[in-house]
Order: sequence, then structure tokens, then C-alpha cells
Amino acid sequence: MNARFIEWIWHIKGSLPLAPGQSSDDAFHRLAPLFQEAGTNYSQQDDTLSFSKKDQAAQDKMSVFDAGVLQIERSGSGPVLHYHLVSRALLFCFLAPLLFLGFAQLTVFLGDLEKPSTEAATEKPDKKKASVLPQHPIDKALGAPAPELPKKDAADDEGKKPSPTSAYVFAAIFAVLYSVGRVLEAGLIKSVFRKKLQGSQAHEPVPG
Amino acid sequence: MDGVRVGKRLIGTQAPVTVGWENIPKVEGGPVKQFVFTWFQPTVLFALIAFWYYAPNSIAKASTAIGIGIGFRVLLLALEWVNPRYESWRLTWKELVTDLFYVGLGYTILNLVDQYIGSDAVIEALQHAFDWDKLAWFVGLPLLLQAFLISFIFDFGQYWMHRGMHNWYPLWLPHSVHHYITQLNINKGAVGNPVELFLIGLGIGGFFDFLPRAALLAGAIGMAVSTYQHINVRFNTPRWWRFLFNTTEHHSVHHSQDFEATRSNYSGTYIFIDRIFGTCIDGEAELLGMEGGRRMSIREQMTFPFTEGWKTIKEKYGRERYARAETVPAE
Repeated sequence: MNARFIEWIWHIKGSLPLAPGQSSDDAFHRLAPLFQEAGTNYSQQDDTLSFSKKDQAAQDKMSVFDAGVLQIERSGSGPVLHYHLVSRALLFCFLAPLLFLGFAQLTVFLGDLEKPSTEAATEKPDKKKASVLPQHPIDKALGAPAPELPKKDAADDEGKKPSPTSAYVFAAIFAVLYSVGRVLEAGLIKSVFRKKLQGSQAHEPVPG
Repeated sequence: MDGVRVGKRLIGTQAPVTVGWENIPKVEGGPVKQFVFTWFQPTVLFALIAFWYYAPNSIAKASTAIGIGIGFRVLLLALEWVNPRYESWRLTWKELVTDLFYVGLGYTILNLVDQYIGSDAVIEALQHAFDWDKLAWFVGLPLLLQAFLISFIFDFGQYWMHRGMHNWYPLWLPHSVHHYITQLNINKGAVGNPVELFLIGLGIGGFFDFLPRAALLAGAIGMAVSTYQHINVRFNTPRWWRFLFNTTEHHSVHHSQDFEATRSNYSGTYIFIDRIFGTCIDGEAELLGMEGGRRMSIREQMTFPFTEGWKTIKEKYGRERYARAETVPAE
């Protein structure tokens, strides 16, 4: 029972009405090209089609999904296609922010570990560098700014301590990507199924 | 397939490869579009050089460079949307998420690890151990010359590391997974095993003393050229650019499903390094990848170099559990 409350994160379910009187065979025949892609196995039995994918191609229209079941239900209001699709990509995109937050914490932790040793090391650089960096006459003539030594504090901070900012940024990026993807992919697959089911009569060979 | 003879090799016998600039299609569209996609690359390059040459010291920092880099990538993603090279390289949501995962790894955990074992750490350790000073005469050279030399020295090293990766099995293992990409998009350069990314990042530039601004310039030149390696955009790249610099076309040949074609165009920025050493093929390809275009999952990208290496070691050095004589056919 518990799984159902979080299943929606990476399970996409939906339904589409079929044309009245359309047979299951006809409906699945129209959808068949979607499953005839590299890395896809599918089997159809009566009103149910189940599929699974491995290493599916990038341009596969259903590449986001790794497995699923399509079932045609006949009720009073006409035949309806119910689909239940599973996407590991959506699950990992949902979990990715947690991973990057973990990286951020690791970065902070390591930065704190390093602090005592960098305080000792700051003595050295002072003596080596000259106070004025050379500038070639051509650069001076062309108006380039005179080179300056980077400020000591800035150099110590930037050079030594790793920043967790990038990890936080990526956590946010994946959170946004997940929100967009969960909605987008659900909408896209519905429209793909709809277009295939309604497909032009002229292009479909009439089954003998 | 017949293939095309380039030097001593036949290119395009296993998968289609277009060879020769005269056979590359041009950008289609009105005069404005033509103008934009012809002059975009040189304009960006010279604008970046001018920026880094003249920027006041207060903004000539790494953080500015990172910001410009990110902004540039976003712009190029938009270009991919507007003027895609191939429909078969269209960026889908899943591809974008996967690519950004690799990019994210690079900016976070790999960056962290690199500080301990990367090129700079190694060079610093060496210098401390042997009481060397950096090569200080470098600093007095004109800024643009310093920048070019930094960029060229790094690319020269990259060329040989990359060529080594395509010729020596232990180096091929971590690099092989990158070649499973079946399309080029702006972030696909990051796709691959972290071990390879570490190797590619090794460089001897740290032995030279140079102005920090020269490093930023070198980085900008590198970015303004090598970003286009993995990109789904068609440009009408000027001929002089194609002669000097690595382009999307060159890199697509390197990624093609044709084996002989992949053994070419190894440099990152300066294709003339490939011309010098005879490994340049001018052309393009659309069909990319390995094993007929099988897409490799993230999990497999991380484990493949090790599992394949293990399999090879077992084959080479392992003995059958029940050692037996050569099997003889029944008939």
C-alpha cells in the first residue's frame, strides 16, 4: 500500500479512448511500430501488451520508459486503452538532487578538514613572487591592463577551499528538470499514443 | 560499402562517412540566417579574445570565465533548438538529463578529486620534491603569444593522449565508453568514464610560469573552438577556420560507426596538429556510436572499463578451471 503513494514519482499512468468498435488487435497493430525499436521486447496477448527495454536508443519515442503494460478495457462507454509505464530516468532525476546535496556536504566537510593545514601553508607564497609582474611592450602599446598579483586573501580562499555552490546549483537544476520532465513526458507519450491510434488510414496496410 | 581513400586508408567502409569539404551541405535559409551562421564562430572567438585582453583586473578572474562558459553553453543549446544539424541528433528530455548528470559530476565530485590527484596537484608535488622553479622567462612574452602557447602545449598533449587512447588497450578502456554516444549535443563532451576525464585533463602547462590572464585567454580560445566538437548545429564555417581548428564535422567523423574513421582527428582545438601527423580527415558523419549504435546506460559507462578489462585479463592469463586438451570436432 505504501508504494502507491510514491509510485507516481516514476510511474506514468493514463488512458485514451479508442475509436468505437475498434478491435484490440487493430489498436495494438497501430501502436506496434513504437515497440519495434532496438532494445525493446514486447508481447501481446488478447487485450494486453507488455514491453520492456534495455539500452534503448536516444531517439526512441519511448526511450524514457523501461517497462510497461498497455491494456484495453471494454466497458459500456466504449473501448479504452489504459497504459502504465515505468521510467527509471524519472526516478533517478528525482533522486539526483539528493545526490548532489550529498556532494555539497562532502565538499564542505573536506574543506573543513583542510582548513588547519592551509593556515600553516600561507607563509610560503609571500617570498617567491615579485611585487610587479612583467608586461611586454606590445601589450602596453595595445592598451592591455597592467598585470597585477591577485589579492592574497582572494587567492587563498579561491585556490584552497572547494566550494559547494556548484553542487547546490546542480541539485536545483535536477529538481527543475524533474518537475518539467514528469509533466512533459506524461503529456508527450499520451499524444504519441493518440496520434498512432488515430493514424491516417492511407498509410496503414489493411490487415488481411 | 566502398569507402573513400584518404592517405593510405579506406574511410567509410563500415558506416557512411562524407569525405571532403566540397561534399558538406551548407546552412539553409535566408540571407540573415546565412550571415549569422557563417560569422558566429569567428565573431565569438575574437570577441572573447578582445574581452580577456582588455578586461580590467578586477573581473579577469576564474569566476567570470565560468560564468561566460555557462552562458555560452545555454546560448548554444538554444542554437541547437533553432538550427539543428540532424533530426536524428535532436536533444530529448532524457538525453538532456543524462548529459547534465555527467556535467554535474564534473563540476562537483570530479573537481574535488582532481584537486588531490589532478595535473596541478601532481606538478606542485614534483616542484616541491625537486626544488624547481617555474619557467619564468615565459611571463615576459606578449600576452597573446603566452595564451597561444599554453593552449597549444595543452592541445599537443591532448592529441597524443587521445591518440594513445585509440591505440593502446589500457587507455582505450576508459575512453571507449565515450564513443558509445549516438548523437552530438553541446553537453555530450562530458559523457564518459571519470578515469578518462582525469587522463584528458593531465597537462604540463603547470610547469610554465605565466600571467593568470594568459591562462584565462587560453581557456577562452579553447572554449571558443572546442565547444563546437559536440554540437548539433550546422555552421557555414569559414575555410581558414576549418584548416586551423577542430570542427563539428571533424569530430563527427571521429565519432562515426566506421572504425577507420574513428582513428582520426584526435586533437581538441588545433586540427593542424592532426594535419602535421597525418591523422586528419576532412569530412562529416551522421551515424555515430559503437556496436551498431547501442546506447550505453550511466551505470555501464562507469563499470564497463573495469568489467571489460577484467574479461581481457581472464582471457589472457586465466586458465580453464578444468584444464583440458583442445576440443576436437565430432565430425
